Amino acid sequence: MNARYGMVIDLDRCTGCGACMMACAAENNVPPIPQASTRTGVTPMLVRQVSNGMEGGARREVFIPILCMHCEHETPCVHVCPQQAVEVDQATGIVMQMPQRCLGCRYCMTACPYHARYFNWWDPAWPAGMEKSLNPGVAVRMRGVVEKCNMCHGRLHSAKEKAAAAGKREIDFADYVPACVEACPTAAIRFGNLADENDPAARETHSPDAFRLLARIGTEPKVYYKSKEAWVKELAESKSGRGPEVKHG
Amino acid sequence: MASTAMVDSRWIARGEARTSLPQFLLWLAPWAIMLALGIYAGGRCLYYGLNQTHLDNRFAFGLWIFLDLGVIALGAGAFFTGFLVYILKRAELRPILNSAVVLGFICYSGAVAVLMVDVGQPLRAWFTFWHPNTHSMLTEVSFCITCYLLVLCLEYIPILLRNRQLRKLPSFLVFEHQLHKVVPVLAGVGTLLSFFHQGSLGGLYGVLRGRPFAFREGFFIWPSTFFLFILSAIAAGPSFLMLVTALVEKITGRRLVPGEVLQRLGFISGVLLGVYVAAKSIDTLIWLNFTSPAVGFAPWQYYSYQPFGLPILLVEIVLFGLLPAFLLTYRRTAARRGWLLSAAALACAGVLLNRFVMTVQTLALPTLAFDEFLSYTPSWQEVASFGGVVAYGVIVYSLSYRYLPLYAPPKGENSHVSGN
Amino acid sequence: MKVTRRDLLGWSAGAAAGLLFTPVPWKLLDDTSIWTQNWRWIPQPTRGPVEVKQSFCTLCPNGCGVRVRMAAGWPVGVAGVASDPISRGALCPLGFAAQQLNWHPQRVHTVRHRGNSTSWEEARVAFAKACGEGKIAIVDGQPGRAASVAMKTFVEKRDGSYRVALAPEAQALAPYGAWSGLGAIGLGYDLENAQTVVSFGAPLLDGWGAPGRFTRLWAERAAGMADPQLRLIQVEAPLSGTAVSRTAARAWQWVPIRAGSEGALAAGLARVLLDEHLVRARGPMPTMTAGEAADQTGLSGGAILDLARTMVARPPVVAIANDGNPAIAALNVVLGAVGTRGGIVRRSKLAESYASADAVIGASYGTARAVLIDSTVPWDFVPQTDAEVFRFAAWDGGAGQADWLLPAPGFLEELTDVPTAPASAIETYAVAPSLVNAPAEVQSAAQFLGSIDPAAIAVEKIIHQRCDDLFRGRAGTVYGKEATAVAKIASAKEFEEQLWKGAVWVGVPPRSGDLRCELKEWPASGSSGRSGNASNANWSSAWLAPVLPPLASKLCQESNLREAPVGRKA
Repeated sequence: MNARYGMVIDLDRCTGCGACMMACAAENNVPPIPQASTRTGVTPMLVRQVSNGMEGGARREVFIPILCMHCEHETPCVHVCPQQAVEVDQATGIVMQMPQRCLGCRYCMTACPYHARYFNWWDPAWPAGMEKSLNPGVAVRMRGVVEKCNMCHGRLHSAKEKAAAAGKREIDFADYVPACVEACPTAAIRFGNLADENDPAARETHSPDAFRLLARIGTEPKVYYKSKEAWVKELAESKSGRGPEVKHG
Repeated sequence: MASTAMVDSRWIARGEARTSLPQFLLWLAPWAIMLALGIYAGGRCLYYGLNQTHLDNRFAFGLWIFLDLGVIALGAGAFFTGFLVYILKRAELRPILNSAVVLGFICYSGAVAVLMVDVGQPLRAWFTFWHPNTHSMLTEVSFCITCYLLVLCLEYIPILLRNRQLRKLPSFLVFEHQLHKVVPVLAGVGTLLSFFHQGSLGGLYGVLRGRPFAFREGFFIWPSTFFLFILSAIAAGPSFLMLVTALVEKITGRRLVPGEVLQRLGFISGVLLGVYVAAKSIDTLIWLNFTSPAVGFAPWQYYSYQPFGLPILLVEIVLFGLLPAFLLTYRRTAARRGWLLSAAALACAGVLLNRFVMTVQTLALPTLAFDEFLSYTPSWQEVASFGGVVAYGVIVYSLSYRYLPLYAPPKGENSHVSGN
Repeated sequence: MKVTRRDLLGWSAGAAAGLLFTPVPWKLLDDTSIWTQNWRWIPQPTRGPVEVKQSFCTLCPNGCGVRVRMAAGWPVGVAGVASDPISRGALCPLGFAAQQLNWHPQRVHTVRHRGNSTSWEEARVAFAKACGEGKIAIVDGQPGRAASVAMKTFVEKRDGSYRVALAPEAQALAPYGAWSGLGAIGLGYDLENAQTVVSFGAPLLDGWGAPGRFTRLWAERAAGMADPQLRLIQVEAPLSGTAVSRTAARAWQWVPIRAGSEGALAAGLARVLLDEHLVRARGPMPTMTAGEAADQTGLSGGAILDLARTMVARPPVVAIANDGNPAIAALNVVLGAVGTRGGIVRRSKLAESYASADAVIGASYGTARAVLIDSTVPWDFVPQTDAEVFRFAAWDGGAGQADWLLPAPGFLEELTDVPTAPASAIETYAVAPSLVNAPAEVQSAAQFLGSIDPAAIAVEKIIHQRCDDLFRGRAGTVYGKEATAVAKIASAKEFEEQLWKGAVWVGVPPRSGDLRCELKEWPASGSSGRSGNASNANWSSAWLAPVLPPLASKLCQESNLREAPVGRKA
């Protein structure tokens, strides 16, 4: 049976620590480019900080991890790529980006409403010797190509190899845990197979507190968010006009 | 005339007066510098990477894409004039045909050159042809623009071969003659290809479900912007052609085409512009009232960020759309050269503004509730490359004007006049 | 036969056309797809056998368990250990890129004396000379380790002084240590049983203690709940403008006060609690009135009264300071949170044997002839002294801070042990084997002292002795793949083996009443010691190194989430 891997991120639990961002960058061999900025950096997982606009004791803030939503319906980036460098993997539902085929036209980046795609504006480089700390499970990308979250496909691959070595056809789900899910100290990111009704993450998507960002656009993202706070739920759709992003420095 | 003045006189058609070579070189010099600067800037981008630009993850498209869309829209005069002359048999436009082809060639080759610098991995450009995505408007654009550039080359070659010295080679003469027979077919193919790629360039934005500012409903697989871009291109193309011709006439001090030709171009442009304005207005109303609100984006959101307020929309449709459409078709204003050319300039400005809005404003606007309205300023490398393309155009056109019978009547009419 | 220009043109055109019918141009075109994937300047990961090993992170005193993926002998990925009772599988963000640290450009590779490269031999000679000429002071940033014992022994043999630089979490416990006569080490917060936690600027949800401890408790008992089982009240000044710290943004209640007025608020609250008889205690009575506290903090008198009522509404309640401010400690005394369940507790008696001397930071070193600073001491600790300073460090945080800069082992490069985390309520112990061979020029302070004093006991031996002692105590539980009571383990060897494989020994929970603080009067105001940083800048308040992993610096630049830390080199 085909899986539909997705997530439910509990925004009430997210403290904005950034462990998911770090684990993602480390797992995916993202280079630390000294000249990169908030608009030119590669951050396949990016936590954004939003406030309710109030001051004093009434001020509330929420941290929203943004990653590729792995849209299911008329996936915008898949539709627009001129050379099929991105496709929806039918077996897993993961939207797979192939940097090796990417031309770097960046059309997919204009198509993504979640700004979840990042361009390699520079060639990757690490301080001398630090290449030895790179994860061998993920290819290093060259400059001039787009990349994004692949739901730690390298880890899925390892899980499949492990299962195959043991003579099994299906992976042991415990072997496939994306880096961000594993890293979160409050277990705010729940990962699972949304096609499996018994999966806890799948069940959570039906909770009245669950919502998806920009659901009305109709791309059917597989990353859900969850919060009991009404002002947070209002951030789902663009019309709210509330919640300016908090900036530092 | 001093003996050194017309060193290259053997390359210039007999009976045609051209300025002296040193003067011509003096004219070319600043453009050559600008071109050199553009090549240097482009070279830096190819060598160091696109971090040389001020493009970023939120402004993935910028000045260069605007340039590409703009020149292709303005260069639509090439295919449209060909269509009018060879398919619709409007013979009165023949005098301007060669110039239109050269302009088209310049616009498309310049666009492709910039595109090669704009992509991150130019060596992979052929992937689009090997792994095409039938759903993607950009695949369609790539195919059609590449084919059309080939068509334009094939249309340019006969003009090239009519150079006084090149004509002397019998094989070239024969080749040119054979090619000339095929030109109506080329015109037809060019029209078809252009229809699709002008449309697909509009489709590029119209299909962006994730950018409700650009997203439009449509007919079958084509969003309304597909048709609007075609309309605006064929409306602005003749106007651009008209402006260039008037400019060349001003610079050379000669009347190159009969005044009626320009008026005719203007009239066609005006009528098409009128149709375009009507279509665009209907489309805008549908978008503001139905398409956009249906996905949760209220129209007021788009126009609440200065300076991209509602005035931009009105300027595009009224000042740069309705007004020139009227001026170009109303007999009294169309008859006066000053009004005619001003109206043409407004029409061209309109199509450029439209391309700018679709490229830049689309990306500046927030999508997520906690996004900001962003801005971007091109880097000197981007501006220099832009300037390089303009300079390239001026140089190619100047060389074509000097050494080729750009405005002479084409072979079919007076086969023995320009020769030897 | 004459070859004309026409011929040449013809042949060239023919050749060009003909070439298209050969595979050459097509193969070259196809090859571009391979070239563009394999430019030689693109770094490639190491290829080699992959294995997973376990150890403990030593980059701060909390000692979270780490599961390290190694390729060809180099660490290529760090993750938490789910079965670890200290960290419960979590790591601070910096831990996930810790494998980069050993390659950081600011890594210290050679011994330096006043800026000039020299050798270990020179350093040894100089230190031995200093030992002969006068007293030695040693500063340890992570007391309780086997290496600490080695250092302490060395110094005490020579009548020198052994001092400790405490993490902010432990510093906040210093007042109770002073008032009970027990010392700060050996005390902890029993947060697992608290229902109301009032933090005075301590970044409880953002880098305080092991991230898997309090943030996990909060996530399970408070996050998203209108009426949480664990009420987190964050008392803190806004950062700048309207910005708040992460903890304040997520707390159940944020009490914004003026910066620096924590002590005043503590006094005001104590006053109200005592005046209104909201607590059983009768003193110590602060001299400050509630009105004065209101003036200093910027809160209204009513707000202070409300806060006091809220604090005691859901006991047990405990107040946590971000530094050694005695006012907040006194507040805990008033609240009855000292030595009781859910409050400040004393870990098991076993702690005494690991307890080190009191922490005295920044005090004058009197007649010390030389000061040796261990690599576990935070970089912003700068001793005010004329003595010759021997600074061990794996990463250089800035020139000119010490006379001697000595390259110390980096991440997972030396065998060490993990004493109880500073704020923990229960005694724990673990062994952290080295997973990477240290570079040749690197040496730890304990090894260095061992090379000077041949009678010194090696760290490994001390660890072995400790494991033996713990086993013979027959108390506590070992948490490896499963939890096993020590009493059920067959031999000391087996016990030690489990620890070497990454298991954690956990002692018995503390008993109420083991800790008593006598406080006759309200302490004089003023904080003491190194203040932790409540801003959003720190990823972890106890991070020792002067540098961040490059990925962390990258994320400071590329996201709005965190700013680059002040004074810390990225």
